[in-house]
This record gives sequence, C-alpha cells and structure tokens, in this order.
Amino acid sequence: MSEITRVEPDLKFIKYLKSAGGDSMKKCYQCATCSVVCPLATEDNPFPRKEMIWAQWGLTEKLAADPDILLCHQCGDCTAYCPRGAKPGDVLGAIRAYAYTHYGFPQGLAKLCSDGKNLPILIGIPVLLIGILWMISGGMHIPDVETFREVGFGEFFGHWDFHWLTKNVFFIDLIFVPAFFFAAFAVFKGASTMWGKMSESLDPNPDFRPSAKQYVGDFFVPAIVESVKHTRFNECGVNRDRVKGHLPLLLSFIALFVVTTYSFLRKDLFSLLVSEEMRTILHAPIPQADPFKVLANIGAIALIVGVGLLWIKRSRDEDERGTHATFYDWFLIGLIMTVGVTGLGAELVRLFGIPSFAYFLYFIHLVSVFMLFLYMPYTKFAHMVYRIVAMAFEKYRESSFVKPAGAE
Amino acid sequence: MDKKYGAYICTGCGIGEALDIEALTQVVTGEMSMECKTHEALCSKAGRELIENDINNEGVNTVVIGACSPRVMREEFDFGDDKITVRANLREQVVWCQPEGAGADFTQELASDYMRMGCTQAKKTDLPVPFKMDVINKKILVMGGGIAGMTSALEAARAGYEVTLIEKADVLGGKALGWRKQFPTSAPWSNLEENSIADLVNAVNANDSITVKTTTEVARISGAPGDFGATFKAAGTKGEWDAPFRVTVDEQDKIDKGQMDDPNVGMKKYTEANPAAEKFGSVVLATGWTPADVSEFEHLLPGNDKVVTNAQFEKLAKEGKVPARVAFIQSPGGEEHDKDFPYCNSVTSMVALKQANYVREDNPDGKAYVLYQHMRTPGNMEMFYKAAQDNDGIFMTKAAVTSVEEQGASLIVNAKDTLLNEDISLEVDMVVLAAGMLPATIDKASINLAYRQGPGFLDLDLFDGYADSHFICFPYETRRTGVYTCGGVRKATTMAETIDDAGGAALKAIQCIESADRGVSVHPRSGDQSYPEFFFQRCTQCKRCTEECPFGALDDDEKGTPLPNPTRCRRCGTCMGACPERIIGFKNYNVDMIGSMVKSIEVPEDDDDKLRYLVLVCENDAYPALDMAAMRRKGLNNLVRFIPVRCLGSVNVVWVKDALSSGMDGVMLLGCKYGDDYQCHFVKGSEIANKRMDNIGETLGSLGLEPERCAMKQVAITDFNKVPDMIQEFVDQIDELGPNPFKGF
Repeated sequence: MSEITRVEPDLKFIKYLKSAGGDSMKKCYQCATCSVVCPLATEDNPFPRKEMIWAQWGLTEKLAADPDILLCHQCGDCTAYCPRGAKPGDVLGAIRAYAYTHYGFPQGLAKLCSDGKNLPILIGIPVLLIGILWMISGGMHIPDVETFREVGFGEFFGHWDFHWLTKNVFFIDLIFVPAFFFAAFAVFKGASTMWGKMSESLDPNPDFRPSAKQYVGDFFVPAIVESVKHTRFNECGVNRDRVKGHLPLLLSFIALFVVTTYSFLRKDLFSLLVSEEMRTILHAPIPQADPFKVLANIGAIALIVGVGLLWIKRSRDEDERGTHATFYDWFLIGLIMTVGVTGLGAELVRLFGIPSFAYFLYFIHLVSVFMLFLYMPYTKFAHMVYRIVAMAFEKYRESSFVKPAGAE
Repeated sequence: MDKKYGAYICTGCGIGEALDIEALTQVVTGEMSMECKTHEALCSKAGRELIENDINNEGVNTVVIGACSPRVMREEFDFGDDKITVRANLREQVVWCQPEGAGADFTQELASDYMRMGCTQAKKTDLPVPFKMDVINKKILVMGGGIAGMTSALEAARAGYEVTLIEKADVLGGKALGWRKQFPTSAPWSNLEENSIADLVNAVNANDSITVKTTTEVARISGAPGDFGATFKAAGTKGEWDAPFRVTVDEQDKIDKGQMDDPNVGMKKYTEANPAAEKFGSVVLATGWTPADVSEFEHLLPGNDKVVTNAQFEKLAKEGKVPARVAFIQSPGGEEHDKDFPYCNSVTSMVALKQANYVREDNPDGKAYVLYQHMRTPGNMEMFYKAAQDNDGIFMTKAAVTSVEEQGASLIVNAKDTLLNEDISLEVDMVVLAAGMLPATIDKASINLAYRQGPGFLDLDLFDGYADSHFICFPYETRRTGVYTCGGVRKATTMAETIDDAGGAALKAIQCIESADRGVSVHPRSGDQSYPEFFFQRCTQCKRCTEECPFGALDDDEKGTPLPNPTRCRRCGTCMGACPERIIGFKNYNVDMIGSMVKSIEVPEDDDDKLRYLVLVCENDAYPALDMAAMRRKGLNNLVRFIPVRCLGSVNVVWVKDALSSGMDGVMLLGCKYGDDYQCHFVKGSEIANKRMDNIGETLGSLGLEPERCAMKQVAITDFNKVPDMIQEFVDQIDELGPNPFKGF
C-alpha cells in the first residue's frame, strides 16, 4: 500500500463503542491471537485484529464498510483466547450495533434506537399509536366472558357488519402492514447502502455483472440456507451452546411467520370466498386442533424456550466471563421474550376466560410485536438482514464476477 | 607463624572407590612429608572432629583437605581466621570427571598431583594481615542534588552516616523541579501523581546529618576510600586544585620537547594533597543527565517552533500550554532503522505516555498520538501503559515516521509500517520528539579524581558514556573503588528506578567505608584480608603495574615508583601478573606459591602417553564451569592439571615458563570473556592476560618452542558443557606437535 491515508480518529465513535459493549477494546495490543483462532481470518485478512485497531483509532468509515464484522457470529473464541481481555467478540458486537445505526434509515429513528435512555420513547410510540387507534376503533372496552369465549380477541378493535373485512383485521392491518413495509423499505435501503460501501473496496470485473436472478440464486439463497442451517454457528467454539437457543428461536420465527401468513389468508382471503356461516367460523379463533394452531403453539413455546436459553446464557456470560451488559443485546432479548410471553399468555388467559387480563396482555403483545417490526432495521434484530446480506456479499466477493477464475 | 601441617583425605563421594587411598596417603607423607589421615566423610561432624582434635591437641594450624571442590563445604572446612586451609579438589576434578574407561593409573597420578599441589600451596601460604588505615573517615560525599543524590544522602543519613551533599545549582531538586507530574509509584499504577520533589528537598534540608552545599562543585578528589580528600569550588569556576588531565608517557615526552601544550598548566600535581580538603570515606556520584540534542534528525523538522523535545514539552505542560492534537515520535530512524532516539532507554516511552495524558487532561477533545518502534514500560509501569492505552484519546501505533511537514498552522506527520497496515498521515498541532538523557560523564570526568590514571572513569565508551562498571554483575560500582553511581549518570532511569538506585549506591558507599575500616576488600572479593605487597628495593619503575591496574589503585612518585592505595585495591592481582621483577605478591597468593605448585606436578619422562598440561583457571567463572562439568560427569582429559587463579590478570608469565621448563607440554589459560560485553570480574584481567600470552608466544618461538603450546580461551560460567571439548581440542593440538622437547632437561 503506497497511498497515504489521512487518519482522523472519531472520539464520539470510540465513546459510543465503549458504551455499547466494546468497553474493553482499547486493551488490544495487536498480538493477533484472535486472528489465529478466528475461522474467518485468512493470511491476508487478519480478522478481527485489524478491526480492533480501527476501533481503537475511531475509524468509523473503515469499519462500516467491512463485511467481516457481519460475518462474525460471535463464536467467542477470540474473546476466550485474548491474552489481554480485550474481548474482540464483544467489540465486534458493539461495532455491529453501530453499523445498524450508521446505515439506519431514517437516521433519526436509527439514533433513537441506539441508546437505552430512549427506551421510554421507544415504548411510548407504539403504546400511543395503538392506544389511539384502539380508542378510535371504539373497541376499547372489556367484553363479557361469554362473548370473549366466542370471539376471543376478534373484536379487540370492535365490530362492524362489513363482512368482507372484519374491523379487527382492518385495524391490525392498518397498524402492522405499514409498519412491516416501512421496516422492509428501511432495512433494504440500509443494506443496499452497505452493499455499496462494501463494494468500494472491490475491483469487480467490468465486463460481467450478475443479473438479478444471479444475485438471488447465487448469493442470497445460499446465504439464507446457510443461516437457517446454522452452519457457521456450529463452527463456533466457546459459544457453541448458543445454537441451542438460537436455532429454536429462528425456527419459531419461521413457524410463526407461516402461521401469521396462514391466519392472514384464512381471515382475510379465504373468508371472502365462503358462505356467511363459514366466514364467522373462519373469523373466530383458530381451533386448537387445527394443524396451524398446533404449529403456532409449538412455535410460541419454542420462541420462549429459545430466547430463554439465550437469556440465561447471556446472564451467565455477564457473571462469569465479565461480558458487558448492553442495551443492544438486552433490548432484543427482552422484546422477543415479551412478544412470546404476552402472546402465549394472552392465548392461555383467553382459554381460561379472563377477558380483562387477556386484553391487557394482548395489548402489550401488539405493542411488542409492533416494536419488533418497526425497530427491526436499527436494533440487534437487524442482523437477520444485514448478516444475510454480508454472507451474500461474501459469496459475491469470492465469485468470478469479482475474482477472475484462477486469480489469487 | 610457625606452621604445623595436617593433611586429610576424604574417601566419601566415590573418592575411596576410585583411588588407591593408601598410595595417595604415601605421596603426602613421603614426598610432601606431612601427616595424613583419611576419613569416610570429612565434612561430617565426625570428620570435622578428626581435624579439630588435631588442631586443638596437636597444634595443627595449616590444614590440607583432599576432598571436594573448594567452592563447596566452605563453612564445614572453615577452622577460623587464624588457620590456613587449603583444598585439593579430588572429587570434582579427579574422581567425578574421569572419562569413560580411563586407566586407573592415570586417575591415581592425577590425584597425587593435586595432593602435591595442595601441600605445596599450604607450605607457601601465609596468614593475611588486614591493611588498617591510621585514620578512617566515615563521612559520605554525595555529588548532585537531584532525586538520586538527595535519596542517596537521606538513605546514608538514615543509616547513621554523616553526609555532605553538593549541588551546582542554587537550589536542590535537579531536573524534577521542572516536572508537572510524576509517574505512578503505587497501585493501581495507572494515574499520574503530583510531583513530590518538594517533599524530598524538605526532608533533606530537615535532616541534621546532611550538610547541603549549593552552587558548589568538586574541584578534585584525591586519596582513597576511607581517606578521600575533596576540594570544593564555586560552580562554574576554575582553580588550581582542579583535577589534572591525564598525561600519558608519550604525551609527557612531547610536552617536554615543546611539541605539545601542557593541559595542566597552573594546576597542582595530582599527587599533591590539599591541606584544606575535606575528608570523606566514600563518594556517591549522582551528577545526572542533560537532555540530548535532536537537531540531527532533520526529517522531523527539529527547528520548527511546533516541534519540541519531551523536555521542552514538559515545560510547556507545566505552564499549561498543551495543544489539542499532539504526535509523540519515539523513534527517529524512519525507514532506515527502528532504533529509538539515542540515550532513551525505557524512560522516554513512559514520558510520552505521561505527556499524552497531559494532552487529554487539558483538552476535552484532545488527541495524542504515540508513534513508536518500541514501547518500554518495565515492571508495574505496564499498568500505566495499559491505562494510557485505555484512554479514548490516546492513539498508539508502531510506526516508522518518515517525515514531518508544515501545513498552514498544523503539522503533518507521515508514517509507514503502522499497525493499521497502511501508510498514514496525521494532522497535529505539535510534534514532541523523545530526546534521550545524556549522562553527565559523557563529555567530562564529573567525578574529578586526582589519580594517576586520570580524573575520570576509564573505557566508558563501552557503556555509551554512562558511568558504569558492569551493569548486571556489579551495579553501582565503578572502575574507581569508593565511588558509586546512581540515577541518570549511570543509566537513563525513571524516578522510581532512580530511588532504588540511590539506595543501592548509598549502601555500597557504606559497605566500602566499613570494609576499609576492617582492612578488607570491598568487592568483588568482599572480605578478603590480603592485599598486594611490594618489595620496592627491586622495583625498576617500569610502570606496568600502575598502568595496568584496572582500578587505578596505584599512583606513583616522580620517578615512577608505585604508591599503593590498598583501600582502592580489589585484590585481583593484575599488578602481580604485570610485574616483570615479580616483587608484588599477597600473603596467600603470590608468584612463588603458584610457581612452586606448578613445579610440584610430576612430569613423566619418555612416556608419550602421559603428557602433562597445565591449565590456569579463573576462579570466578571458568573454575565453577569445570566443577559443573564434573557434576554432570562430563569427562575431562586426565592429563590436564588445573590451578585456580584470582583472575587471569594475575597470571605472571613466569608460571608458563616454570611449566614448560619443568617439562609440561602445554599451558592454557581459561578466563572470562573480554571486549565490549566483557564478563571479567576485574574488567581488564582476561584482556590483559590475552595480550601477555600473545607476547609469550613470540618469546617461546625464539626459544624453539611452538607458540601453540600456550593458549588462552574465554569461557562463560554457562559454558560447562563446552569446556571439556575446549580442553580436549587444546590437548589434541599439542599431541600433534609431540612432547615438549625440553622434557627431562
């Protein structure tokens, strides 16, 4: 490298990293033990050693454009072997947290999500939004036990006689469909900016560019398959038992996604095609014997168990290994736990027939699910997108579109 | 002293099994005509009682012990200062070092020779009588009123000694007066401390045993430990009592012929004693250091007003003028080399860390860049380094700083080979260069002795000008007995190191005074009561002893006759080795004694299988190496006879002649390494011996003897596994030459 780089450390960035779990990062003295144990490091790419000094020197741009920070699954080997207690794994976590904020769109919301001090606002927004809509919907009263047993939460947002679309579904869609698309757009924008930044260091072959089909088929689909299979997690050393929590959690998300999709189809589409009587049945709670309901229940339990295991592991790491407790990590664990517990809780309480408590739980459930959607692009949850993008990028980087065949 | 001899042979540790003890006893009783007794374990209580009974009942006062090495069982075989004890090393150098399959007769002859040598040594040894001075002065002179000098003065005063502390400035404190803060001195070792120099100054001023003289310098110090005479003068002045420069014999010749100016015009001769001089027992030299000049490193813009040295930056920091972005450059080599600034040791690393902290303390968004090739933070200072590293605004990287450029109001620092794996440039407001600490002795004597060998320490270029004698083996000591150094004059040190140093030097100064008082050697032969005595009637004023003494112990008079100063002497015997007239000797170590021991070795005539080799072994490192080889059962050639000597410097070439003329086939000297990283305990001994052996080689050649019959080898104490082969190599070489042609004459 003959080009001289003007280096200007960003003190605010350093301060942020230190507060977000990277408090130990300045301890690194570049011995490269981490790069020796890290499966991601190659001879030319001393990872995470170089990231450590970039972090120490506050070089934000370099870190943000580095796909490796997202390829890291925090297996913990580097942290376990670090002779100085610099905990590179934890530092990388903090850098990832920073990256989500860095690429977050819109920036204001992203920044809001990066600091635990804003938690009241973060909770306040959905509480207020859903609360107001609930009020507007006119459904804001506790039903009697009989009605509740029959319709469940089906009339949470009230009832109207327009059968093509229940009032409840209308309001739920009104809240969640925009939130979903907003989040999807935001994360797409962030991830594509990141892809662009990461590509700057590459020297792609100008004659060939992958088609959209190739992007998906060659890079993204294998990346998604790899994530679902937890291939890289299983390569982890110290933190291998994290798979026990993370895998059920991931599968439960898939299951709950399937169930939600089914529920959407059942209540909003199939119901349009059938008779009036049948429609009432379809609009009522799904019976427990329905295979999708079974899947939903299993999913809910898996979700709670998975996140519970991760919760326990994280607490233990904090006690035993001195892992720094961060808002970044606990926000997601807490949120998913809330989603799971209130979801399952609301269902159980519904079956027990206690409408007031059930409504209360259901409200919290809606709030927490909304938070999960809306804040996905800026919180740790964003890793599901950014990491897959980075893994796809890695495949792109290694492909012949960038590296001519036979080149080193 | 009327000697009554008693010889004792131990049969333990395998000696009894390997040797014919009966025959060996007969050698002692017959040839050597001494009573000889044996015991299965002389070092045991019963064994000692056997000897003590003879001492008490028979009046034995000179004991020859044929047993283990003289290096072990010293207490067991110590029968008091009024008894002479000689050890013949039958265990390590006879029994334990036999090569496999060695003929029994070879081993027996070897043992017999060691007993002969032991008995001869006993006969030629006298009890030493300590040299007592008429008057002893126990006051300590401390030169330099900085941290080192003041600590040393306090330590000596606390130990009960009167101290005079002189300082050339008008106040005590030295360099530390200019420091804003000081390095951490206690756990957690992470925070800078307030400068504590004022407390030290107050403690010195409050101490009744310390006399402080400011704006004072030493003109000259004459005399010897226990009786130094110091002449003081006002700082910065010249006077007739200034220490004269050294004038060599050749230079004196030129001066006499008018070809050269006498540098000592108007000064009193070095031998002249100033009646007004103040008397001291020993001296602590703590004259410190000065910041090094860095103007030669032009690529770092040393002339720019925004480029300062660490010393200048400290001053700015004290005045509160610390800019927000500062680069600390530790190593000036650029791409050429990775050396740090000269004379920096580890101190400048820590100074950079300290000053980086100033940048952070004084500026909320301060950024301090430390660009180093080496970061040296010994001991607990590692914690200080870690704390600095943990500071958000302190950025450190190994780097080859290639240039500093001015750009508007800022400076641009360009660096290669950084930990960032790229060439970087930094925009800063100021650059600080880590200038080293030049010892006061680098360009002047500083100690100003009125000695024959000149006013300063010799060969300081071996230590880059630092006043040192041997850093690892003999800290604080110098080439001048009674003068001990500490602090910046000895090594670039931190405050904490300086304080340790100062305590050490004070203790050495006390040890010196007390040793002089008891009439014994200070170091390294601590407690040795013997000292060299001169038979002046036969002195030819050749000046070899006065020139060669590594410690300048010998002055001389107008004619060149040596004037010994026994309290300056370290008892190495270099003078004895030097003397061609052989008029110098110790009561218990002299030319005659070793010569007789050599002659007592039985040299078989007409037996080519039984050649004889003499190896004179330095007892400090080489002899222990031989013992260690034997303990590991490494075979030593059994035709070789070892005689330990105090130092190879004490080897008088007449011993070589004695050996060769008595028919021995080769003579080897085994001593310490010499040169830049010498290990000689007496600094110059092995080097001088090597020169003498070169010279004797020529003499042998003129006599028709091969010069290869004499050799000198250097060994370290750790070379025990190599020593047997070194000896064998020498033996093989002479085997090729054949036996000594003078054998039998």
